[in-house]
Amino acid sequence: MSDQNIIEITGVEKRFGSFVAVSDLNLSLKEGEFFSLLGPSGCGKTTALRMIAGFQDYEKGEIRIGGQLMEDIPANKRPTNMVFQSYAIFPHLDVGDNVGFGLRKLGLSRKEMRERVSEALEMVELGGLERRKASELSGGQRQRVALARALVMRPKVLLLDEPLSALDKKLRENMQLEMRRLQQKLGITFVMVTHDQYEAMTMSDRIGVMFAGQLKQVDRPEQLYARPCNREVAAFIGGMNFLNARVTGENGDTLSVDVDGFGPLVVQKNPNVLASGTDILVGIRPEQLEIGAKQPDGYDAYLQGTISDVAFYGESVHYYVRCEGLDDAIVVAVPNYFHTVDHKPGEPVWLGVQNASVIDLGAREQ
Amino acid sequence: MATILKSEAGKGIALSAPASLYVGLLVAAPLGILVAYSFWTQTYVEIDRTFTWANYSEAVNDPLVRHLLIRSIAIAGAVTFATVALAYPIAYFIAFRTQKKALWLLLITIPFWSSYLLRVFSWKLILGFNGVMNSALISIGVIQEPLTFLLYNEFAVVLTLAHAWAPFAILPIYVSLQKIDRSLLEAATDLGCNRLERFIRVTLPLTVPGIIASCLIIFIPTVGDYVTPALVGGSQGKMVANLIQVQFGAANNWPLGATLSLMAMVSVGIVAILFVLLATGLGRRIR
Repeated sequence: MSDQNIIEITGVEKRFGSFVAVSDLNLSLKEGEFFSLLGPSGCGKTTALRMIAGFQDYEKGEIRIGGQLMEDIPANKRPTNMVFQSYAIFPHLDVGDNVGFGLRKLGLSRKEMRERVSEALEMVELGGLERRKASELSGGQRQRVALARALVMRPKVLLLDEPLSALDKKLRENMQLEMRRLQQKLGITFVMVTHDQYEAMTMSDRIGVMFAGQLKQVDRPEQLYARPCNREVAAFIGGMNFLNARVTGENGDTLSVDVDGFGPLVVQKNPNVLASGTDILVGIRPEQLEIGAKQPDGYDAYLQGTISDVAFYGESVHYYVRCEGLDDAIVVAVPNYFHTVDHKPGEPVWLGVQNASVIDLGAREQ
Repeated sequence: MATILKSEAGKGIALSAPASLYVGLLVAAPLGILVAYSFWTQTYVEIDRTFTWANYSEAVNDPLVRHLLIRSIAIAGAVTFATVALAYPIAYFIAFRTQKKALWLLLITIPFWSSYLLRVFSWKLILGFNGVMNSALISIGVIQEPLTFLLYNEFAVVLTLAHAWAPFAILPIYVSLQKIDRSLLEAATDLGCNRLERFIRVTLPLTVPGIIASCLIIFIPTVGDYVTPALVGGSQGKMVANLIQVQFGAANNWPLGATLSLMAMVSVGIVAILFVLLATGLGRRIR
């Protein structure tokens, strides 16, 4: 990854009638970066991707790729290539002709073209399948052909529209690692659209989270997880317990807060929050809470409650704990260390939390 | 009966029985009779049922038969080409360029609301010596004398049939265009194609089955059409079906008529097969 910006989007807006699909989008992507646009369906992420590709016009703002303004450059002349959600494999052509489809425009020699096609197929581990018919490919193979067909063009930017959503879970996880490895090897900028938070986190250098046409937060995956900018983003990425809190004091980077149920705690100020105040919201990740039949040692605040539900996930167990004075049950995730489920519904338990686990999510009303 | 209907094969036979019966009685049996007749001889009022190749040798050696057969195939080819060439843009428009697909499809079927014969007669009225076209052109002063090349020739046959067949060509092509996944077109654009290249390399090859279907639907019945040539074709526009009709009618030579029918059928079959092979092959060559 270099510090050079490959894509610069400034103030872009797209409306469909009165519906604002994308509003005031500002985004700079670095050369060689793996960037994901993450959000629920209908949030405008695919529209944004299609605007970069040139398939979608927009009313306001500008998009630059490699410093060049894209306004008058049609999709077929842009230095981008796309992997479509449906893969869009040409059914009347075999694998080799699919991958070589765009190369025919470049005036390469027959030999050169064959070499580039077979090289691209090697890259996605489909070497030697040139003469395979499109109808004979499995879902995973179609995905790889789509990837090879786009990469063989050596684009400056590869655009991926939900590239893994049609694959089953196991295959998807393999492809996540494989695509990440491929992207690092080639050093091409990848821009991926996805609604799957895990996919975005495992693959991306940075993630942009979109809701209702607005880009809410752009950050590295671990920062997004640790310092989400508001309740929406925090709830979309991973599990989160939300609690109301009042600010009682401020000291440099930290806030003293009185959290519902837990009482006084000291939290790091979150630089990403959009607005602050005295009545704030804090979040605690389920896996960062301690649970025990007796009061656990060494925590900064405690809470007592009763188990209402237990959910076994295999790698972890989720306990739902009802506490007096709190509307929602607190979720606690315990890693499955010894194949035991330690608590049953109806049992009284203690919860413990450290200051460092509590996330400041800014003003309650926003 | 109940057990037969429970087995897969039994169900299949039961389901296809009505159609098989219908086809057997109304297609296979008459065809068999036709084949039989072609090997017999007409002797004034009776049929001599001794086997003979005489009808075939007479038909093959008659230059008129050859001429009419070739002309029929040529006219049918021209009709097919004109119809499909005009239908493709319409089908394309409905599939890609309009939201009101149902309305347009309805409009296209409107000619069917009046009878085929009436439509042929209206072309006669439009193209005739004192017809709509000539009177209009004379009254606005474009021509002084009525045009005579409009009616009673091959041109009139092609024009009339191209109009009559239009919906049969539009619908199969429309269906094959409609089936194309729009992301395939975007993928072609994404890989550098402009609109024309995209059409030639993706849209056209994917609609080859629709084009072939349209061509066959039009070509095969056109070769054997006799109403249109009889009404608007004049002497230049006569086709093989007119000759066949004469054999079964005025000439009263059923065996020769049967022979001509079978020869026309076989020729159409051969031309159709060659066409399908050629079109499929060309479609595959587009990369």
